[in-house]
Amino acid sequence: MSIPAKLNDVLHEMPGIKVRMMNERRVRVDLSPDTLPALLEILKGRLGYCHLSAISCVDWVQTDQFELVYHVWSHMLKTMVSAHIFISRQPGQFISVYDIHAPAGFFERDIHEMFGVHFEGAPNLNKFILTSWGGPPPMLKSFNTREYVEKTFDWVQYSPDWLKDIEAKGGGID
Amino acid sequence: MRPENYRPVKHPPSHEYELYFGPNHPGIEGNYAIRVRLKGDVIIEAIADGGYLHRGFEKIMEERLWIQNVALVPRICVPDPVPMEETYSRAVEMIGGLEVPVRAQWIRVMLLEMSRICAHLFTFGGNAATIGLYTNMFWGVTMRDYFLDLFEEVTGARIYHMFITPGGVRRDLPEGFLGRLGNLLDELERRMPEFEDLFFESAVVINRASGIGIISQEQALSWGVTGPNLRACDLPIDLRRDDPYLVYPELEFDVVTVEGGDALARMMARRGEVIQSIRILRQIIARLPSIGGAIRSPLPNPLAWNLPVGEAYARTESSKGETAFYIVSDGGPRPYRVHVRGPSSMHAVQVLEKLLIGARIEDIAQIMFSLDACPPEVDR
Amino acid sequence: MSDKLPVIEDQPEICRSVDAGERSVWTRVMNRFADHCRARSLFVLHYCTGCGAIELPPTITSRFDMERVGVSPMVTPRQADILLITGYLSIKTLKRVILSYEQMQSPKYVIGFGSCTINGGMYWNSYATVKRLDQYIPADLFIAGCMPRPEAVQQVLLKLMEDIDAGKANGWQDYYNNYDRYLGNQQALFGESWHTPTDVIAEAKHYGYLADGTMGRHTDLLLKRADYALDRVPEDYPERGKNERRLP
Repeated sequence: MSIPAKLNDVLHEMPGIKVRMMNERRVRVDLSPDTLPALLEILKGRLGYCHLSAISCVDWVQTDQFELVYHVWSHMLKTMVSAHIFISRQPGQFISVYDIHAPAGFFERDIHEMFGVHFEGAPNLNKFILTSWGGPPPMLKSFNTREYVEKTFDWVQYSPDWLKDIEAKGGGID
Repeated sequence: MRPENYRPVKHPPSHEYELYFGPNHPGIEGNYAIRVRLKGDVIIEAIADGGYLHRGFEKIMEERLWIQNVALVPRICVPDPVPMEETYSRAVEMIGGLEVPVRAQWIRVMLLEMSRICAHLFTFGGNAATIGLYTNMFWGVTMRDYFLDLFEEVTGARIYHMFITPGGVRRDLPEGFLGRLGNLLDELERRMPEFEDLFFESAVVINRASGIGIISQEQALSWGVTGPNLRACDLPIDLRRDDPYLVYPELEFDVVTVEGGDALARMMARRGEVIQSIRILRQIIARLPSIGGAIRSPLPNPLAWNLPVGEAYARTESSKGETAFYIVSDGGPRPYRVHVRGPSSMHAVQVLEKLLIGARIEDIAQIMFSLDACPPEVDR
Repeated sequence: MSDKLPVIEDQPEICRSVDAGERSVWTRVMNRFADHCRARSLFVLHYCTGCGAIELPPTITSRFDMERVGVSPMVTPRQADILLITGYLSIKTLKRVILSYEQMQSPKYVIGFGSCTINGGMYWNSYATVKRLDQYIPADLFIAGCMPRPEAVQQVLLKLMEDIDAGKANGWQDYYNNYDRYLGNQQALFGESWHTPTDVIAEAKHYGYLADGTMGRHTDLLLKRADYALDRVPEDYPERGKNERRLP
């Protein structure tokens, strides 16, 4: 289990990069946010990493950071590179990679909607899913969906006879 | 020859108009909408409008135990739920370092391929219905229903199986199941020529579906098209071959490619996949009885099961394209973050918006169904 | 607000519950006959509001074939009798469901399909889905389970036919009778500016189901927004004059 030589060379051209082999066909890369667009560009140009599989966002409350993970796949090398970057949570801002990978348009729009991260230069950051939502971005850890549900919706009161019998004996479904 | 008094008709500016297509419309797949701007009956702009099926899966999965989420994941994609279970379970196995017994892997592949046939038969039916061939819909849905009966026999449920769990599968196959599956495959093979006559070689389908919604190879690669839609552009890219999982390396099958990249080519690619799935299932029927052993690796008490800190990205080739889960664990009993990459999130939004430009209004349904877009996994 | 409205003041006798016993025998016999016929030709609106829609094709097509008992899909709400709420409703879908429901001609019937329409089901802690369907539109019958089988769908449609025949499926009358309560629940979810293009109050009057609960605090808010309501807005209404309504 080792990183393909070509990939290893290219990855180590980036300053301050940490490379880790996760499994046979997946390489985890940790790098600083400024170098990410350059990395994607080089990977795409030299090694055929032309398929952006997904951009995932993770909200780390303790360190007050967003983690953005760019999963790119090369049809040539048959290896996936997951590039992890951490951006500060407060302005919550990053550069769009739409001009390198077109699928980024959808994922950035989704992350903007769910986490409130702003992507500079993204073609379309309009709401897609939550058009009738007025609250905070729901995927943030600070948003408690259970509390919101208790506050907004009512429940059917469910107390059939068989349950009353059980409750009289001290049992119940709660 | 134009007559002497011919004068070209000048359309008033109001000739351009906007139409809200869906969500309550039989020509749209599922609960989805497209805002289209038209000039005459030609579309000049299309904006996808989703979110009707949003359930906040990624959020509520963070609130449930690892094992409880097994019940939640198949609901992300309704017509093809098994790849979702498989991908989630595989991602959890990667984080937890669980080994899947060989017999369980074979059973999983069998379910995945059965689910693929179901989803494709359903798409044949839906696609034919958009151009008025209702007989095909009746046949496709009925044929799929026999597969659902087999699913019910194995898993106990027709649609949402919740059968694949981290570490294996829930139960072993019932007695004589493989024989019944073989009989059904015979039946499907016997009916395939009828489907050909009715659908794939029908003049109506060929005239309506060819030449619309064309994706070129470069466009397909740069727009992030995956699955049968990509293979319909004559690109032999298949995760089962390129990024193999389970026991796919041991199975013989062809990666079906079709030239053209139009709506008809996409349907032909699916037809080829059904035949390849039958081939895979036949190999499984032949080999599964000789593979013994456990069907599940032992799990700790699932209600108090903490996975180690870590992250995993698992991908599966579903009937719609590339299904992927990115899961982060912080060492607790619940996932810290689950990101679902539904294959249709590309097809139903960006690709559809681009393909519809220049298409005619009656082809919207055909293009959308030929992409096999599945709205619930876009909205999650 | 309501004391300004001439409609309510002029016809106070309409604003009370209609007692079924008051109607003439002839009307009751005719209604009974109409219900009997109605139950034998039902059209289900083709609207896949959720994942339950996947079990409808098997129900309708040749395997289970609902058409043999007289149920068939229909593409437009205006010609449909039954609105099948196939599973969970996100808030965005609920708006469209209410619009579709109000477009349907009375009598109309609603069936909640699956556990998620009863109490949220699987998605009980989701911020995006509605928990109780019957708060927003009146549901005649529910099917429990996730997901209900085609046999269950058949069963519920047959039960609905029975109920219609016996004159028991009258959720649509409840919507007219208690429109203010339903509208209040809808406004609690969508905001006070929520309104639909349908004049439900006029419909209630037309069908003879105007009751105490039809108008109230919540329907008063409609007057500010809904276009059709401008009819009833006095001349000196501050925001928009009466003449503005009559646009070509």
